[in-house]
Amino acid sequence: MSCRSSVIIVALVMLLTAPLSSQSIPRTPDGHPDLQGIWTNATITPLERPAELAGKPTLTDAEAAQAEKKAAEDLASVDGKSEHPLLAAAGSNGTGGYNILFIDRGSEFARVDGVKRTSLIIDPPDGKVPPFKPGKKPTFEGYGRFDSVKDRPLSERCLLGFGSTSGPPMLPVLYNNNYEIVQTPDHVMILVEMVHDARIIRMNGTHPPPEVRQWLGDSIGHWDGDTLVVDTTNFTSRTRFRGSSENLHVIERFTRVSGDTILYRATIDDPVFTKMWTLEYPFAATKGPIYEYACHEGNYALTDILGGARKSEQK
Amino acid sequence: MNQREGRKPIMNMKCIVAITGAVLVAAAPVWAHHAFAAEFDAKRPVHLEGTVSKVELINPHAWIHVDVVGPDGKVTSWMVEAGSPNVLLRRGFTKTAVAPGTRVVVEGYQSKDGSLRANGRDITLPDGRKLFLGSSGTGAPYDQKK
Repeated sequence: MSCRSSVIIVALVMLLTAPLSSQSIPRTPDGHPDLQGIWTNATITPLERPAELAGKPTLTDAEAAQAEKKAAEDLASVDGKSEHPLLAAAGSNGTGGYNILFIDRGSEFARVDGVKRTSLIIDPPDGKVPPFKPGKKPTFEGYGRFDSVKDRPLSERCLLGFGSTSGPPMLPVLYNNNYEIVQTPDHVMILVEMVHDARIIRMNGTHPPPEVRQWLGDSIGHWDGDTLVVDTTNFTSRTRFRGSSENLHVIERFTRVSGDTILYRATIDDPVFTKMWTLEYPFAATKGPIYEYACHEGNYALTDILGGARKSEQK
Repeated sequence: MNQREGRKPIMNMKCIVAITGAVLVAAAPVWAHHAFAAEFDAKRPVHLEGTVSKVELINPHAWIHVDVVGPDGKVTSWMVEAGSPNVLLRRGFTKTAVAPGTRVVVEGYQSKDGSLRANGRDITLPDGRKLFLGSSGTGAPYDQKK
């Protein structure tokens, strides 16, 4: 073999085995990373690091594999059992509303930089939502009222998905963790399967005046190198994320780190918290389609809930 | 093997048990589409045995209609709340997956307003098979990715 052939072969091998560089991610005709496609953010990594894992931000693959297996087995073993904490936490409170049939939250911990993480929150380093400033903890006034449709939570009214699935910040929830991104030079649209919300991000735009308030806030974007940065303000006072106020300001970063992964990062900036905090986890490419989620089409639950309250009043 | 090395696996197992328990509880949001406890009455458990008359694969939750014959021979039609239709579709469950006439046993709770609606805490075929399969290896996008 000639020296020249050897060099070519070595170069080819290096090319084939090299990690995906920023050059190899898909790009749109204007040269920016192409974020388009269907993605899922399903993961069993919780937003906050559980107390039992304090000081342990990551798991080895072996630890993660065992824990994932056991989590799946435990979930199967509690199917239909109303007293289980998972089901109670999901709102069943003794009625066992959630069996496995309802749940499609993924089966793995989130992997970033090659290691699996025990919380989505990366800052503060303890993986916990920082405390509220004194007197800023919301009271959820009227949360338990049943006098009107408007008393009920936005998710029950089919206005927004629960658990900040649409965000921002966007979080994985119990099911329907699927998103479709469509991108032009002027706009990025993120279709959220849950409740069929569409986030419209205006590139290089400016926020409207503060009197304009929207369920999903107002999102504007720009490119920071190969990262899409999205800035969102102008939320309504009822769009509560972990006790946030209408002054919530979210800065998101979408980076297509490989052909099948977008690294998602969101920083939560709201004066009700003692400090800003940041979460980070991957979105994985997935097969479609996204199904429509026309939440109003058969929302018997809302009439049942209000009807049940009227019935209780008669007693 | 010194004592420290000998202990290591035990610590790992403890850690994994803690991880699993913690994740199961912590990963669930406090609120789902709606709180089942607000719609259904925990003091009114129902046990229904009947035949499926219709499946409504609608948002935000699917409903399975079940005709139940009472001791007096009278037929009452119940509606049983099930999961998100999108999740069901990803598992290959369609409107025709359960044929009318299929016998089912439902354990659930009646709605608070007293109508003949219940949540389907557990839906089982007469031979003991669950009407719906578990969530792993179901063909959901997350599974397909692997």
